Amino acid sequence: MNILVVLRMIPDSAGELQLAEDGRSIDREWLDFQLNDFDDHALEEAILLKEAGGAHVTAVAVGEGANRVLQMAAARGADEVVALQSEEDAMIFSREIAASIVAMARAKSADLVLCGVQSSEDVFGQLAPYVGALLDWPHVSGTNRIVANGAVLRVTQERGAGVAVTYELAAPAVLGVQTASKAPRYVSGSKLREASKTPIGRAAPEPSGFERSAEIITLRLPVQGGSGENLGGNAETVADRLVSILAAKGLARN
Amino acid sequence: MKLIACTEGHSSKIEAFSLEMIAAARSLAQAGDEVVAFFAGRDAQAASASFGVADQLIAACAATSDLVPAETYARLLRDVIAAESPSLVLVPYSANGLDVAADIAARTGWPLISYVNEIKRDGESLTVVAQMYGGKVLAECAVQLPAILMINPGAFPEATPGPIDTARVRTIDAEPALTSGKVKMVAIDVPDYADVDLTTAERIVCVGRGIGDEASIDLARNLATMLGAEIAGSRPVVDNGWLPKLRQVGKSGQKVKPKLYLALGVSGAPEHLEGMSQADLIIAVNTDPKAPIFNVAHYGATCDLFDLVANLSDRLRAGSGR
Repeated sequence: MNILVVLRMIPDSAGELQLAEDGRSIDREWLDFQLNDFDDHALEEAILLKEAGGAHVTAVAVGEGANRVLQMAAARGADEVVALQSEEDAMIFSREIAASIVAMARAKSADLVLCGVQSSEDVFGQLAPYVGALLDWPHVSGTNRIVANGAVLRVTQERGAGVAVTYELAAPAVLGVQTASKAPRYVSGSKLREASKTPIGRAAPEPSGFERSAEIITLRLPVQGGSGENLGGNAETVADRLVSILAAKGLARN
Repeated sequence: MKLIACTEGHSSKIEAFSLEMIAAARSLAQAGDEVVAFFAGRDAQAASASFGVADQLIAACAATSDLVPAETYARLLRDVIAAESPSLVLVPYSANGLDVAADIAARTGWPLISYVNEIKRDGESLTVVAQMYGGKVLAECAVQLPAILMINPGAFPEATPGPIDTARVRTIDAEPALTSGKVKMVAIDVPDYADVDLTTAERIVCVGRGIGDEASIDLARNLATMLGAEIAGSRPVVDNGWLPKLRQVGKSGQKVKPKLYLALGVSGAPEHLEGMSQADLIIAVNTDPKAPIFNVAHYGATCDLFDLVANLSDRLRAGSGR
């Protein structure tokens, strides 16, 4: 089985995000970029499938720091790694890179395309359904377990309220991974150093074929704090206040 | 113009956010417009008993299946779109919606905006506000119709449920599309709440990514015990295997409404807020003062969560004389 897994580099939204002067983008100058968490799980699922039944895993990364993450992917078990060129300092819209992923899936004779179910920049739509529809392959998003038995895939999908639905479908297929069957593995420094020798292929982007969904008129930060009371940053004071708040609300334990 | 509100359900139930989609469409409809609710599921009963606010209900029914897979849902919806020529299709941000919206967008070439919180209509064009970067940034977008919008659950109030006239209900046989579909449903697993049911818990202590590692969960668990609370986790914590899935709060976990929700190191991604923002009292502790959890918290603190847990545990222990 040939697996293509997509790795998107996105701004670390755990850090502080500042708006750029044009008001339509975020200031990327001091941002850390990291692998989209869901894509990390997609990579892990690809490697788990390879270990379970054999597969050739190609990882394609896009965005700032793609080379670094591709070396990590190689260290984790990807057989081939490719950097997809992207416009510098631009958001990575899944709607726009879908055509490039489709082209690569064909070029690599992929039986299975895996990517994270979402990314923080996919405001114009998610990658798995775009790629699935363009290839006219079945697609399922929000998976937390994928088992391959030959070309037959058994896929479990997370839905709300803890409900899980299991589907069966035949490859070729596209799956949007929510959670890998096991947590993404740790890679040792020595493995990373070894993998740093893996040659990184280059791919030029394909024209998206879609019109941009919309013009972003402006970006803004949500109004901060809501109407809540800020108790500050001193743990002792905060603990004192919480004890009295809980008592006042009748929530201190009887 | 016509607006299609996509609705969902499984077994004999409809999802509550279905009524939000209909309400959103209704709020945008002007005189002469038509709000069409689209439903695909086992039977039309629950939908026709609830979707009275819509002008029309198109229900695709598959008596042999408790759930219509997204692939089949999207195919049926495409046929409805081709026949009805709507200007706007509203899809919920749900497991099903994630597969349906971009599939339709890819096959029609229509614009798609996801994670939409607000919609303003000006004649034939729309201005929408969508969330990006885990809710830390809001994007205001100008959208040309026809278009597809994926709407965040909770962004619009539910329409009042009520029956729709049978004359306004059209049923479609979904069986052919289901039979020829490439994605087959094999099982639906509904969790067993025998051990824990967060949805009925009065007090919840929820840990997020900020808890750091599995060993530290015990500190939060001890605090939960002192407070008489259930321990819960956000998605990253459960994904790491630090807490069982049944203890996950949020979109793919449980929707909770306790009297006390103490969030420790939870950033408050939109998917988490969807599961807990209705709690009576929300106390959030996070060292990032811009964490979105503070937007729904009644009380917020930016101290180190371990310092807080230690101090609060000391006081509770002293207070109980233990």
